Amino acid sequence: MNDHELQRFEAELRRAAPAPLPEGFIARLRVAKLDAEPARRMRLEPKPGWARWWRLGRWAAPAMAAAVVGLMVGKGKVDLQSIANKKPLAVSGGLQVDDVQMDHELVNSFDVVATLPGGLPVRFRCRQWKDQLVVTDKSRGVEVQQHSPLVEVVPVRFETY
Amino acid sequence: MNSGSKHELPAESDWEQWIARHAPALLLFARQQTNRDADAQDLVQEAVVESWRRQSQDAPPPLALVYATIRRRAIDLARRDGRRAGREVAAHQDRPECWFDAGVEERERNMLIQKAMSHLPEIYRQVVTLKVWGGLTFGEIAEALEIPANTAASRYRNGLIELRSLTKEVFI
Repeated sequence: MNDHELQRFEAELRRAAPAPLPEGFIARLRVAKLDAEPARRMRLEPKPGWARWWRLGRWAAPAMAAAVVGLMVGKGKVDLQSIANKKPLAVSGGLQVDDVQMDHELVNSFDVVATLPGGLPVRFRCRQWKDQLVVTDKSRGVEVQQHSPLVEVVPVRFETY
Repeated sequence: MNSGSKHELPAESDWEQWIARHAPALLLFARQQTNRDADAQDLVQEAVVESWRRQSQDAPPPLALVYATIRRRAIDLARRDGRRAGREVAAHQDRPECWFDAGVEERERNMLIQKAMSHLPEIYRQVVTLKVWGGLTFGEIAEALEIPANTAASRYRNGLIELRSLTKEVFI
């Protein structure tokens, strides 16, 4: 079988097109599109105004508190240095914040599809987030961690897909 | 309702076009790897989703990656279910589902090709499928099947020769 014959045979084979996708499978792939959305893009999803402020507020509050604690300790340290001979360091009180780490991690994302009594399909996008705040005081070897789980359930229109 | 979610999803047209263009060949490849059509559909869906998720940019995933994922998942599935031997035996049997378009004019011819393909050794069938219907280059086939490109080329040639001898009643 020479190259020319191989090419002809190859062209004959190509005439046999793969079977078209079953209808149900096409629908499945359309639904699967959401799962294909990379996680990084999920984080960039535009939120309603109130949600943005809520998210900002949730982080601003502990961050502000940590900053205030840091300032107070810093100021207290200067004062303490001036009276170091009179008072032991142990009574200075408060944390000296060396490091504040904040993280907002997407733990899980999935879709739930249900059918209303009238037969109308509804879809909910469920996301599980984990917020974490870590405050470290190296001089005292203290690390304070706060974890807050958050579940978002957002209805999504089918037409969106 | 979240009407803004369109912006961060793969563009509707990109996704639809990519699926329309490549999914039939992906499903054909997956059907050859499994016993059941439902398993084949699962493999394609999982591989497509996984491959799109791995992409750091909005561009579609490389086809070789999708085929490689289907193949690996099929092996995992066969191992998990202890059906690998059954899968290889079943590859030599007639399948209830049609691998190729069963239009009236081409039905008999395509069924003959399917029958001949199912009698090909798996190593040939994979390469022939990826080259003829998947449209992959030998380099991409090598990547998908984790074999050298030269091996892919020689398997392709041997596979075509064997396939032609099996279909000589149609292709003279």
